[in-house]
Amino acid sequence: MVAQQLLNGLFLGAVYALFAVGYTLVFGVLDILNLAHAAIFTASAFVAFSLAAAGVPLPLAFLGAAAVGGILGILLDRVAFAPLRRRNAGTLVPLISSIGVAIIIGAVLRGIYGVDEKHFTTGGLDTAPAIHLGPVTFTAVELTIFVAAVALMVVLSWVLRATTLGRRIRAVAADRIAAALLGVDLERTIAATFFIASSLGGAAGVLTGLEYNSVTLDMGSPIELKGLAIIILGGMGSVTGAVIGGFIIGAVETLSIAAGLSEWRDAITFGVMFVILVARPSGLFGKRALRQA
Amino acid sequence: MNRTSVCALALCSIGAIGAIVAFAAPSGAASKGPAAGKTVHVGVIADVTGGAGVYGTPQKNAYELANDDIKAGRIDAGGANLTFDVQDAASDGAQVVNLMQKFMTDGSTPLVLGPTLSGEAFKAFPIAARASFPVMGTSTTAEGVTAIGPSVFRDSLAESQVIPTTVKRTHDKWHYKTAAVIFGDDNAFTKTDGDIFTRELKAAGVDVVDTETFHIKDTDFQPALTRIESKHPDVIAIGALFPEATKIIQQAGKLGIKAHMIGGNGLNAPDMYSVAGPSAQGTVVGAAWYSGAKYPSNLAFVKSYTAKYGKGPDQFAAQSYAAAQIVADLVAHGATTKDEMLSGLRNVRVIQTVLGPIGFDPNRDVKSSPVILSIVKDGFTYFH
Repeated sequence: MVAQQLLNGLFLGAVYALFAVGYTLVFGVLDILNLAHAAIFTASAFVAFSLAAAGVPLPLAFLGAAAVGGILGILLDRVAFAPLRRRNAGTLVPLISSIGVAIIIGAVLRGIYGVDEKHFTTGGLDTAPAIHLGPVTFTAVELTIFVAAVALMVVLSWVLRATTLGRRIRAVAADRIAAALLGVDLERTIAATFFIASSLGGAAGVLTGLEYNSVTLDMGSPIELKGLAIIILGGMGSVTGAVIGGFIIGAVETLSIAAGLSEWRDAITFGVMFVILVARPSGLFGKRALRQA
Repeated sequence: MNRTSVCALALCSIGAIGAIVAFAAPSGAASKGPAAGKTVHVGVIADVTGGAGVYGTPQKNAYELANDDIKAGRIDAGGANLTFDVQDAASDGAQVVNLMQKFMTDGSTPLVLGPTLSGEAFKAFPIAARASFPVMGTSTTAEGVTAIGPSVFRDSLAESQVIPTTVKRTHDKWHYKTAAVIFGDDNAFTKTDGDIFTRELKAAGVDVVDTETFHIKDTDFQPALTRIESKHPDVIAIGALFPEATKIIQQAGKLGIKAHMIGGNGLNAPDMYSVAGPSAQGTVVGAAWYSGAKYPSNLAFVKSYTAKYGKGPDQFAAQSYAAAQIVADLVAHGATTKDEMLSGLRNVRVIQTVLGPIGFDPNRDVKSSPVILSIVKDGFTYFH
C-alpha cells in the first residue's frame, strides 16, 4: 500500500508543481501575485476540450491549449498589470486587478460552455488497461501526465539557465532598473515571462482535466490555494522551490490519507507547511532564488 | 379482407385517432378554479451560477419548462396566471439569505422554493420559519431541514428515507459482511450520507472496516481508495455528489477494486455511466426518482425537457418540476396568499407528480418511496 500511495503522491505532486512553477515565475520577476493563474489553468483545459472535441489529436490539443494559455497570460499582463506598473501602483492593486480578470474569465467560460462538466474524448487512452508493476498500479494517462509535467519543468529550467531569454528574465527579476539600463527590453521580457508562466499553468490545467477526465468551471479553485501554499513553502520566486514544494504537498496529502487521517488532510498539509516556515521563514529555497538560478 | 378484419381495422383506426387527439391536446386543459384570472408569482432560489451551478441550472430549466406548461395548460393551475420567478443565488450563502428576505418582504410572493443546497437551507429557512413563511426545498436532503420550523416542507426524499432501503435491499441480496464508507465531510448532504450509511450498515450487522473523507471539488481519490482496498471490504458506500462520485467509481475501477459500490441520491444522474465508464456498471443507487418511471406525467416531462434543453433531466430537475406541480395544484384549489399556501401544504393528501404520487408526512417531509436502481450502460435499471 505504501508504494502505491507514494506513487499516488508523485503523480499528484507533478501537476501541483507544474501549476506552482508558473505562479512563482511571475512573482519572481514582478513581485506580484497573479491570482488569475487558476483562471488561465481552467480556460486552457476548456480550450483543449474544444480542440479534442473538434477532432484535433490530443498532443496537439495539449500544445495548442498551453499556447492559448500563454497568449491569455500576455493579454492579462497588458490589461491588468502593465497599466498599473506604469503608474507605480504597488503590489496590492495588481493583486485585486488579477482577481477581477479571473472573475471575467470565469464568466466568459460559463457563457461559452455552460455549467456542465465536460469530458475529453481521449481516444481510448482513459479506458486502456491499467499497468501493474510490482505492488503499484497506474494508467497510461497518469504516466503520460507525469512525464509531460516533469519534461516541461526540465525545459523551463534549461530556458532560465541557458538561453538569452532566461538570462533576461533573471536579470529583470534581480533588478528591473539595472536590467533596463543594460539594454534589456523590460516589457518584452515581462510579456515572455507571462507567456511562459501562463502556458505552464495552462498545461497543468489540461493535464488535470485529462487525469480525471473532467473539465469544470471551478476546477482551478482547489489548486489555487495549494499553489499559493507551495510557492510560499518553496520560497517566493523560486522555481526549484515550487517544484520541490509541489511534490512535498502532494506527498503529505497522500500520506496523511494513507495513515487513516483523511479528515485531517488539509490541516496536516498546512501544519507541515507551518512548521517548515517557522524553521525557514523565507521558504525552502529562500528569497530571490530565481535571480540566482 | 374479410368483414372481421375490416371491423378490427376500423376500431384500431378510431383508437389510434383518439390516442393522437388525446396526445396532441393539452393533457390537462386548465380548469377554472377559485384563483382563475389571478396572478401568482412564486419565488425560486437556485444556484444557477457558482460552484453549485451544475445542480441549480437543471432546477431553473425545470421551472422555465413548468412556466411554459402552465401557459399551455399542460399543468393545471386552475386558470390562474402562475409563474415561477427564478433568482440566482450564485452558490453564495449570503445571497441566498438576501433573496429569501427579498421574496418574503416584496408583498407579492406567497411561497419560496429552494435554495439548492442543504447548507444554504440551514441559513435561509430559519428566517422564513420565524415569520411562518412557507418554503419548500426541492433538493435539500440533509437531516434536520424540515425540523427548522413548521412552515418548512420538502418534496425531496431525505437521505434518511433513501439510504436505509438501499442498505437493506443490497444486504438482502449480497449478504455482505464488511463495508467501507467514503464521504465528503464539508457538505451537509454528503456528510449526512456518510453518517446514515455508517449507522445503517452497522445496524445491519455489517463491519465498517474503514471510513474515508474528502472535500467537495477534490479530484484525486486514489490515496483513500488505496487505503480502502487494503482493508478488503465487500462493499463501498459512497456519500458524494455527481462530480466526486464519478471520479471515485472511475478511480476504484482503475485500481482494480472489485467491491460492490452503493450510493444515494447524489449518484442519480443520467450521465453516471458515460462519465464514470464501465467501472460504474452494477453500482446501486438509492434515489427519489427514476427517469424511466412510467408515470404519464414523467414520460411527458422527460420528453419535453429533453426536447427543450437537448439533454435529459436529472433528479434536481425532476424534483423542481414536481414542486411546480404541487404549487399549481394548491393554486388550482384557490391558494394565492402565504397563509393559504401554508394551509394548502399542510392539507395535501396525494398529488400526482413526475416523482409519482406524493404527499407530506407530519414532519413535512415528502411521503414517497425510494427507488433502488442499478447503473447499466447508458442509464439505470431497477435493482432486483
